Amino acid sequence: MNYIHLFYQLLPEAVLVITALALLGVAVSTESKTKKTITCGLASRIAALGVLAAGVALVFTPKCLASGSHLIAMDAIALIFKGGVLGLGFLAVLVPPAKKEIEHPGEYFALMLFALTGLTLAVGSNHLLFIFVALELASLSLYLLAGFSRTPQSSEASLKYFLFGAVSAAFMLFGLSFLYGFSQSDTLQGVAKAVAADPTSVIGMVGLLMVVVGLGFKMAAAPFHYWAPDVYQGAPVTTVTLVAGASKIVGVVLLVRFLMIGFPDAAGSAAWGGITAGWSIWLAIIAAVSMVFGNLLALAQKSVRRLLAYSAVANSGYLMVGMCAAGGESSAAALFYVVVYGLATLGALVVTAAVERDQGSDSQAAFAGLIHRSPLLAVCLLIFMTSLAGIPPLAGFAGKFILFGAAMTDSIQAENSGLAWLVGLAVVMSAVSFYYYLSVLKQAFVKDGDGSAGKESLSLGYVLAVVIPAAALVLLGLLPSVLLDPIKVAVLETLGMH
Amino acid sequence: MNPAWTIISAFAGALLVLLLPARMAGQSRIIALIASLVGAAAAAVSCLTRLNGMESDVWSFKSDWIPSFGIQFHLAADGLALTLLMLTGVVAIAGVLFSWNVTKRPRAFFAYFLTIIGGVYGVFLSQDAFLLFVCYEIVILPKYMLIAIWGSTNREYGAMKLTMYSIGSSALILLGLVVAYAAAGGTSFDIAHLAAAEYSTELQNWAFPILFLGFAVLAGMWPFHTWAPTGHVAAPTAASMLLAGVVMKLGAFGALCIAIPLFPDGFAVWQPFIAGLAVVGILYGAFTALQQKDLKFVIGYSSVSHMGFVMLGLATATHWGFRGAALQMISHGVIAGLLFGIAGRVVYERTHTRDLTELGGFNLWKSLPGAAIAFTLATAASMGLPGFSGFVAEISVVIGVWESYPWLLPWVALGIIITGAFSLRAMYRAFFPDSKASSAETMGAGSSTPPLDPLTWPEISAMALLLIVSLSIGIYPKPWVTLIDDGLRSPLFQSILFQP
Amino acid sequence: MLLLSILLLPLLGAVILTALPNSKRQGAGRFAIAWAVIPLAFVVMMRGTRPTPEGGILASWSLDWIPSANISLSFSVDGISWVFLLLTSLVTLFALAISSRFGLNSRGYCALILVMQSMLFGVFTAGHFIPFFLCWEMTLIPSYLLIRLWGGDGAPRAAMRFFIVTLFGGVCMLLGFLALQVSVGTMDFAMLHELAANKELASGVGEALKSTGYGGHYLLTIIAICVFFGLAVKIPVFPFHAWLPDAYAEAPTPVTLLLTGLLSKMGVYGLLRIFMMIFPEVLPGFAPWLTALAVITVVLGAVAALAQTDMKRILAYSSINHLGYCVLAVAAVAASQADRTAVSSSISGVILQAFNHGIIASALFFSVGIFEQRSGGLRSIDDFGGLRAKMPVFCGLMGLALFASLGLPGLSGFVGEFLIFNGVFGLVPWAAAVSLIGLLLTAVFLLRLLRKVFHGPLPSALESWTDLTTRERLLFVPVIALIVGLGVWPQAILHCINDDILRMLNHLLPSS
Repeated sequence: MNYIHLFYQLLPEAVLVITALALLGVAVSTESKTKKTITCGLASRIAALGVLAAGVALVFTPKCLASGSHLIAMDAIALIFKGGVLGLGFLAVLVPPAKKEIEHPGEYFALMLFALTGLTLAVGSNHLLFIFVALELASLSLYLLAGFSRTPQSSEASLKYFLFGAVSAAFMLFGLSFLYGFSQSDTLQGVAKAVAADPTSVIGMVGLLMVVVGLGFKMAAAPFHYWAPDVYQGAPVTTVTLVAGASKIVGVVLLVRFLMIGFPDAAGSAAWGGITAGWSIWLAIIAAVSMVFGNLLALAQKSVRRLLAYSAVANSGYLMVGMCAAGGESSAAALFYVVVYGLATLGALVVTAAVERDQGSDSQAAFAGLIHRSPLLAVCLLIFMTSLAGIPPLAGFAGKFILFGAAMTDSIQAENSGLAWLVGLAVVMSAVSFYYYLSVLKQAFVKDGDGSAGKESLSLGYVLAVVIPAAALVLLGLLPSVLLDPIKVAVLETLGMH
Repeated sequence: MNPAWTIISAFAGALLVLLLPARMAGQSRIIALIASLVGAAAAAVSCLTRLNGMESDVWSFKSDWIPSFGIQFHLAADGLALTLLMLTGVVAIAGVLFSWNVTKRPRAFFAYFLTIIGGVYGVFLSQDAFLLFVCYEIVILPKYMLIAIWGSTNREYGAMKLTMYSIGSSALILLGLVVAYAAAGGTSFDIAHLAAAEYSTELQNWAFPILFLGFAVLAGMWPFHTWAPTGHVAAPTAASMLLAGVVMKLGAFGALCIAIPLFPDGFAVWQPFIAGLAVVGILYGAFTALQQKDLKFVIGYSSVSHMGFVMLGLATATHWGFRGAALQMISHGVIAGLLFGIAGRVVYERTHTRDLTELGGFNLWKSLPGAAIAFTLATAASMGLPGFSGFVAEISVVIGVWESYPWLLPWVALGIIITGAFSLRAMYRAFFPDSKASSAETMGAGSSTPPLDPLTWPEISAMALLLIVSLSIGIYPKPWVTLIDDGLRSPLFQSILFQP
Repeated sequence: MLLLSILLLPLLGAVILTALPNSKRQGAGRFAIAWAVIPLAFVVMMRGTRPTPEGGILASWSLDWIPSANISLSFSVDGISWVFLLLTSLVTLFALAISSRFGLNSRGYCALILVMQSMLFGVFTAGHFIPFFLCWEMTLIPSYLLIRLWGGDGAPRAAMRFFIVTLFGGVCMLLGFLALQVSVGTMDFAMLHELAANKELASGVGEALKSTGYGGHYLLTIIAICVFFGLAVKIPVFPFHAWLPDAYAEAPTPVTLLLTGLLSKMGVYGLLRIFMMIFPEVLPGFAPWLTALAVITVVLGAVAALAQTDMKRILAYSSINHLGYCVLAVAAVAASQADRTAVSSSISGVILQAFNHGIIASALFFSVGIFEQRSGGLRSIDDFGGLRAKMPVFCGLMGLALFASLGLPGLSGFVGEFLIFNGVFGLVPWAAAVSLIGLLLTAVFLLRLLRKVFHGPLPSALESWTDLTTRERLLFVPVIALIVGLGVWPQAILHCINDDILRMLNHLLPSS
């Protein structure tokens, strides 16, 4: 393996970094000359172009399964989900924050690109340390991004995010060191070998659980979710879209890698009547807690951003249900679902941002009469919320149905009822969630508003950032196979389950 | 015209209505009417084709959808599905006609309306559990919107309650289907495949109630019925008609064609409980209806009572019982549609009250004789008097009960009588004068109340359509019974109805 | 086809009436009268058709309903049915004719009466339980509305009570028959008669409803009781008569006439053609109870009538009393089939009594109607007196009807009662003996009515009354003619039913 080869494999990341540096350069040079920074819109467009270019570069990146060190693993999962991260990242940078919010747009979008770089790198690796470093690159950028606007809420969000993030990073690093000590190897494949030899090892399991805690923080799973509501509410919208979309995908991909590549033999079972020791039961507990907490707390939210934060907690729970089953199909279903979820939540956040920008508030009441003010936003909001709630014919429905179906299929056995208890809880909680999604829609469609509110004016970036996810959700809802089949093939191929 | 045209016409109609330019919004009702007519015509043609070619294979359409999870786009129409399609078509036409005067956001109204219709058609035709569930859930959101935006009394509360019940019920169904899918090997969602699979008795014992309950909630089974009266009352006329007329049928249809065939052993265990709940529902609905002051509440609770007969028919697990349940679905669909149409559209829009006492003051027997005649006939149909569809259905169910649970009969009889009592009470309180002072000798002469607008043609034709259907079933049920029996011959029911 | 047109013609008339423009209101009554003549003509024409040799069927028609369960809407007319058809068309026509005298000629009213006529035709010709029940229950709504809308102040309550009680009876009857459908697979009257004659019914029921843990005989008894209950409510038999006095008193007079003249006959017809013929296996078991009920009905009806002063109520209780004789005859036949002649006499008596009661009641209620109309709604016998001087013709006609009602020989009422008592004495002598009390009391209260109203001092309010108008006299003519004619020549009816009674006898007493 030579460096040119390595460069080819990291072409997308390289494009991102180069764009980021260029952006920084432009920002710095314009600022010094004219005392005027480049506008948010321009920075956003440059960044979007960069992400687009990275996406194009990804298409030409060769697949490479067995690079010696596993430092960079361009396996099938990596290829697809780098694409996914870039896609959601692209949508995220399309939405410029308000001008008064961000003082240095150039730096802001450069940090966005750095964060994206970290996220794409993390997706494509089986190396314990490399994963950690990539994640930290993303995390550090995100801490800054969360605090970028100079409102007290933003600062609080940044601080909370940072504190919780630091603790979880410590957990993760500690866990990784356990894994290294346990397996004498710094790759997941090496860990897998050690686990196969000793599936019940306590050290290995403790290490894994610490890693899971770290990833749970990334995914905002309860009880590691306390940063989420504040960040969702306080941080600039562009940051939140990245946190909610791309970052979540990375969390799930890494969970799949750790659990299914590193610890496939220590899964145990969380099946009703057939519980055996392993990570499955721990994950099941986290999943259950996340679903119950997230959904019940979301019911009480007036702020739509906070509501979406708790919905993110709840959705981490659903995703973990898929992971608990410890099967190829259920992992694939979870990965499909996270993409769908990311699209929907991102779209919902963008609509919220648009409403907030014009109404000055993200409370549910601000949405009143949206259908009259801006039919486009309202219809897209309908698509996002119903997709999140899992109503057909949208992708969220197909995602949930397949996720729960696969989780049951991979867990059920003749002698026990499998994960029916957890899936049942998930289904019931999903029904509960419909209430708060619907209450937002109720404001938008049923309430008439007071008539004083002005019309939401939309820039091209906003329009793209709501129309693309909405179209994608409809398309994926009608023809889930378009994305589901490649993911399933990729997961089965990567995990060696044919 | 094959049965798929029902679905296509409804969704195409919905899309077309949405695409209408704003200045032509008033025309959306015409598009909706045409779409409903096409759907009903497709259903009727399919019914006739099936009746004339009972020996041939049923119409079906199959195509891969999500092959990696064994999900297919599989539609088929046996006789049972066809009769329900026919019902949906009729109720859809009547619903559009009764909504002829909707002026508030007509495009959205008819788009939601047609979406519900399309979803309902889809459920009846689906042969794949996933597809069925998709169609089942498509209905939920438009239902909410129709009630919350165009509804009347307490509409937001009623809409939310109804929607949460629906969502809750579909959560249970989802769980049940997923369990069946997984236990059957996780290879296919095809209903026939799921029904043919062997499930352990233990699994059936807990999976059946989940799946059945999911469907039963939507069918308004006591004690999970409370969404029905509030929802019906809050809904605009067309939505009440759809809800009571066809959406509640989705639940019953699912229970009959999914829950019971999938888990027959579980069904056998829970059967007595279902029968008990059904009878309680019949009596509870009837007694509660007897005490209501609001005309729509009376009809709402009567729906609970009538749907109890459907559930009772299912619980008997006999050919007669299933046949009766299917007939009662159709019969109640038509009659409830008619009653809601008259109460909600014809009367309420003119008098702006549904309070039985206040209505008495309007002396509707004189001021709206057409509505009074139609409501009288609908009342007769609703109480199961022979000659109307309800009678055929009720005797079939009762024969089934004789075969399975003879000791329940006294309670069923009581239910029928109370049904007669509350129907009659609502009818005379609402439509006929209180005392001799305004009796019929002065009929047609000037009265003290301001004159009400005469009936319009859309109203008359809608009422006539529904009445004729109900009467035709009551007088000549042979084709309907033939079609339903055709459906009940399906392999799904072999193990339940034709045990060696 | 003739039968079908008889069944549907009145319905068609009702539809036309409803569709008539409102302005033609005055014409509605005339139209209805004219229309009601047509079925009468058809019924008379039907007598001319040659009956089938084996079943004596004059006409029949049927439509498949649920073929897989042998259910069809089949109607057929034999001699007995024909007599009831004739009665129906006559009484309906008469009721319509006198209605306009009382200002009841609106479209709705006439249409409802025509609907009811159609349904009555159906009841009297049904060959299967489903069409029978269909028509049976469909009389409910029209009669309810007729009482409710055109009745007196207490009408809402009375109508509701009437409706619920009869509905209750109907449901019981329905449940009973559905049990037969479940166990022997048919509700066709002819097939059930066949099964009953071969004594296969009880065993069939027992076999099919094994799960209940009771024997076939016991279950069939329960079914028979259910069916009896449904029929008894309509007639009505004590103790199911509570709805009757109020309903009869509150209904407008022509409607009361329909209720007693025709609707109660549905019950009698059902007892005779259905109850007695389908349940002979279990009848001996509870025939004593039945007989007792019939006797109580007869006696109590008379006693209650004696206590009334309202003319309509008197006639209402007298109806209970008169129809009690019919029940008594059926009960006697059920209890003992010892004597073939006595059975034959009883059955003939029932049919004659039913027919004659309908005609006589027409005359009597018309008379009450005349009182009501002239006095502005008064009906108590205490309000009137000494009218013989003022209205000699009326007094004569009404007196004739009253004498016919109490069974004076030479008038039609006598023949039916004579045949019934003749038969019952041969079968259950004690019941006949006790019932004689009822017969005597009938004479007492009817004569009391006659005396109070037409004799004694003339109240001052009645000074201005004049005798019947020509029109009223003309209306009395056909009724009185029938009363006298059938009293002198009962063979006219008996001739029509002889063959059918013979068939019934062969069915009930196959051994001889």
